[in-house]
Amino acid sequence: MGFFDEPYDFVAPPDDGRVEGIYKVTGKGKYSAEYKVDNICYAVMVGSTVAAGSIKSFNLSNAKQVAGVLDIITHQHKPVVPGLADEAKIASARFGLPVFHTDKIYFKGQPIALVIAETLEDATYAASLVEAQYDTESFAVDFDKAQAAVALTATGKERGTMDAWSNAPFKVEAEYNIKAEVHHPMEMHATIAEWTATDKLKLYDKNQGVNNVQRTFARLFAIPEKNIEVISEYVGGGFGSGLRIWPHALAAIMAAKQVNRPVKLMLTRPQMFYSVGYRPASWQKVQLGANAEGKLLGILHQSKNGTSKYENFNEGITRVTRLIYNFENLKTEAAVVALNLSTPTWMRGPGDCTGDFAVESAIDEISYQLKMDPVALRLKNIATEKNPETGLPWSTNFLNECIAKGAAMINWQDRKPLPMQDINGDWSTGYGMAVGMWNAGRGNASAAIEMKKDGSITVQTAMTDIGTGTGTSMQNIAHDVTGISKTKIKIELGNSNLPAAPSQGGSNGLSSISGAVVAVSNLLKQKLAEYAATENEVYKNAKPTDILLSDTGISFQTANNQFVSYTSIWDKSKLTVLEVEASSGPGAERQQYSFCSSAAHFCKLKVNRKTGKVKIEKMVAVADGGKIVSEKAAANQMSGAAVGGIGMALLEEMTTDERLGGLVGDDLAGYHFAVNADAPIIDVAFIGKPDPNINPTGSKGLGEVGIIGVAAAISNAIYNATGKRLRDLPITPDKVLGW
Amino acid sequence: MRPFIFSKSSALSQALSKKNNTTQFIAGGTNLVDLMKKNIAQPESLVDITTVLPDKITTNTKSIQIGAMVRNTAITNNATVKAKYPLLAKAILAGASPQIRNMASTGGNLLQRTRCPYFYDITTPCNKRKPGTGCSAMQGQNRMNAIVGYSDQCVAVHPSDMCVALAALDATVTLTTKNNKQENIAFTNFHRLPENLPERDNNLPANALIHSISINENPFNKNYAYVKLRDRDSYAFALVSVAAALQLSGNTIVQARLASGGVAHKPWRWTEAEQYLKGKAATATTFSEAATMITKGLKPLSHNGFKVPLLHGAVETALQNCLVASQ
Ligand SMILES: Cc1cc2nc3c(=O)[nH]c(=O)nc-3n(C[C@H](O)[C@H](O)[C@H](O)COP(=O)(O)OP(=O)(O)OC[C@H]3O[C@@H](n4cnc5c(N)ncnc54)[C@H](O)[C@@H]3O)c2cc1C
Ligand code: SF4
Repeated sequence: MGFFDEPYDFVAPPDDGRVEGIYKVTGKGKYSAEYKVDNICYAVMVGSTVAAGSIKSFNLSNAKQVAGVLDIITHQHKPVVPGLADEAKIASARFGLPVFHTDKIYFKGQPIALVIAETLEDATYAASLVEAQYDTESFAVDFDKAQAAVALTATGKERGTMDAWSNAPFKVEAEYNIKAEVHHPMEMHATIAEWTATDKLKLYDKNQGVNNVQRTFARLFAIPEKNIEVISEYVGGGFGSGLRIWPHALAAIMAAKQVNRPVKLMLTRPQMFYSVGYRPASWQKVQLGANAEGKLLGILHQSKNGTSKYENFNEGITRVTRLIYNFENLKTEAAVVALNLSTPTWMRGPGDCTGDFAVESAIDEISYQLKMDPVALRLKNIATEKNPETGLPWSTNFLNECIAKGAAMINWQDRKPLPMQDINGDWSTGYGMAVGMWNAGRGNASAAIEMKKDGSITVQTAMTDIGTGTGTSMQNIAHDVTGISKTKIKIELGNSNLPAAPSQGGSNGLSSISGAVVAVSNLLKQKLAEYAATENEVYKNAKPTDILLSDTGISFQTANNQFVSYTSIWDKSKLTVLEVEASSGPGAERQQYSFCSSAAHFCKLKVNRKTGKVKIEKMVAVADGGKIVSEKAAANQMSGAAVGGIGMALLEEMTTDERLGGLVGDDLAGYHFAVNADAPIIDVAFIGKPDPNINPTGSKGLGEVGIIGVAAAISNAIYNATGKRLRDLPITPDKVLGW
Repeated sequence: MRPFIFSKSSALSQALSKKNNTTQFIAGGTNLVDLMKKNIAQPESLVDITTVLPDKITTNTKSIQIGAMVRNTAITNNATVKAKYPLLAKAILAGASPQIRNMASTGGNLLQRTRCPYFYDITTPCNKRKPGTGCSAMQGQNRMNAIVGYSDQCVAVHPSDMCVALAALDATVTLTTKNNKQENIAFTNFHRLPENLPERDNNLPANALIHSISINENPFNKNYAYVKLRDRDSYAFALVSVAAALQLSGNTIVQARLASGGVAHKPWRWTEAEQYLKGKAATATTFSEAATMITKGLKPLSHNGFKVPLLHGAVETALQNCLVASQ
């Protein structure tokens, strides 16, 4: 890949390397804040210092005295944003926080002013001098305290009845609490906004879907989508934080309008804590029943998650409960708890990751009551034939195979059936496992290919690659379908001028784009066959599957290959660049089958009796992601997710202060995610069987199943080591002590 | 961050002459720059001291002198330190990250400020940052805060690991005062408790510099341990830490040193337990007794009660590890 703002040499990656790898490790790949734009200036957001109330007045005089300050936007002084022009429009815009369009304060840190200056230093300093007076109101930021008062309501259809299993001989009833977690991708969110004409906008923006950005701002500024170009070629991680369009991007665009210059706005790490969503805090209660043979009879799963005071974000915590096991009796209830915090959003394995922790913990707990191996208990109850929610048969579901394989990889037979049976000095060893599943989706996506006379092609799509290896997979697929060698396949993505594609999220990216790349690769073959037919009749009506492309020409897959060179095609037909574009999307198969990705997670760890230290020794993740298009990138997804799961289980916690009304601590020294020392090398394996119905490549997404189940596998292992059932995450040493 | 003037000096005297109330010295900058970015420190000018203070480690028969500008990493790589004062290297390596240790200076490490989250958030009351405004941690999120030696003004802890070892090894701090005179101060008296002046972390006179640190030769280079318990395995500040060192004769403890980080406003010496250990057999029972002695009178806050049993376990583990550390 290269850059859209300057010429570049195409450097082919090593054989199994990523297409963008060399650009990334040499620092040449450009993330959104790194583009050079002439005449640029800088914007810095000023946050509210109170958690609730309204802005009474501003004192901007000190800030304005800073040399280099160009303007300061507030709700009283701002350019027109047609889509937010009045209350009714704000309501229908569904943008979320109406930043700079309200005097109301919903959370501490909420942007109240935007300082625009010649340099980042000027803007930052002036921002620190902006003063505001508020009428304050009472607030609530502590989820655990606030949730008790919120009533649950039914969500989803009840299956069977609660009475049917009220006399189950084995029962678990327990509550689970998980603290909020923050995505914190390495690259902070940033936007460079440039109005290239009064109704034309160019954005360099960090996000997970350029077309989504385009649509959102076309609506807000009442201009055609095609007038907005969004460039997001390199995205330094997202984890869901880039699936929505957040206030800072709007702020940058407003600033650019206000000063009529390109403006760069980059969030600071502290601002990342409350500006681009987070996984909300949650409470859950699970009641689970089983008979003596280990058949799970029924489940009641209740959940609540935090949200903001200005939007309802329901994480969908009980969704996964309806998916994995054959619960004939099932009831789910949910509620959201409004807090004076910013709105949470999807974070890797959204909802399912949370719900799965509770259910997989409860299943582990009941396995000890039943004196049944947790592996056997799961194998007995997993819905392998059909989706228990829709009744449709699974297209493929290899979760049982994942479990069997994972158990072998971790040497599950070494696990002691009772806790505290494997003690050595102050350390006790334990094993745990859990499973995860995710609806395998697919969206409509388009891709194009440009081919030159020298046989090189460029495969293009608007889809972003957020580090998942999308570009590399596209290259692999194009190579597989066409036959052109990888060194001649260039990838361009993350630009809204390229063929439209869905956002990269919900593990849909590869499933969606792979179909388009197959389609456009076949179209290229077909087009070349048509051109070849003008030279050689046999190519008339040749099917793409009959022919093969090499680096120099087209031929049949048979011995008498009827080779025609690109040179002669180009010369004869007077071509410069051959361009083809195709789209692909889901169809009738979605009415016939259900689709899922799944994974089994295993963990071996030891716990120290004196220090509460949990040391993970081995982790195994086996996934069914259909056909694995790019082994290295797929394994990387899985191990990255497992490390994220370690963070969720043991470390990550967004802390609030109920008296002061905001977050406590806003740096990565205090907000702990796992570092190398906390994580062993993750042993990853795949089932690798293509799903024949999902898309032309048979691949299913892996982003989410890599994390769903990890936290439960870890806490289940801690129980196996210590006999202490820990139901609140993160499991920090203070919670482990005392067994 | 407020704009500032940055200057280098050619001599120590020049650096000292530039120093006044609106000026701050900068060494590695790993703490000060963060404090400036967060508008906690707002100096009008910065005086770079990296070239005017000693950056060498020198030794004589009786002691080692570490210049104030010796980087943390350099200490851990020094052969004499590794042979004779290994506890110091071990404590340093338990702190921060390689990148930070490469920048962090010896003097700066002593003077790094607390990591109490409220201290870093200028929208909250904090007596240490702004005297008289109150202490947000007292009834707030005080999981990381003190369990001993605090006052009703401030419950912060000193975050350094290196300083815990220096306290255990009875180091001496050499200062250069504003009028370019050298003075010595015992390390254990260098940092102070918050009492009624929480804004003061230590007894360094106004506008003075730390010149160097010295440690006398000691018998604690064989049986020593630094146990740091933290939420994450690397790159995290201590919940509690314990520097332990034993001088053994056979299985009998001749002398012991025990100090802790993460428990108080200063690196904390457990002198009573040290006395207790003298002459005792180095057994698990003795170690447990010492740990109980240490944890008996502690007064945890609303959210850090766990630090008491954690410290108990850390002391036991550290003393136990002293028996294997020399291998
Ligand atoms: C993310 C992060 C994690 C960290 N984790 C740990 C950890 O786990 N354990 C740990 O022990 N430390 C940790 N540290 C702290 C680190 O050790 C200190 O920041 C460092 O030692 C400070 O040294 P410096 O030279 O960079 O000081 P500077 O930032 O340059 O200075 C700090 C202060 O000391 C003053 N000063 C510096 N030198 C002198 C001198 N010679 N005389 C007088 N005044 C002087 C400066 O004026 C300033 O006020 C961490 C730091 C960060 C940023
Ligand atoms: S403990 Fe000290 S540093 Fe922390 S808020 Fe209280 S006064 Fe400030």
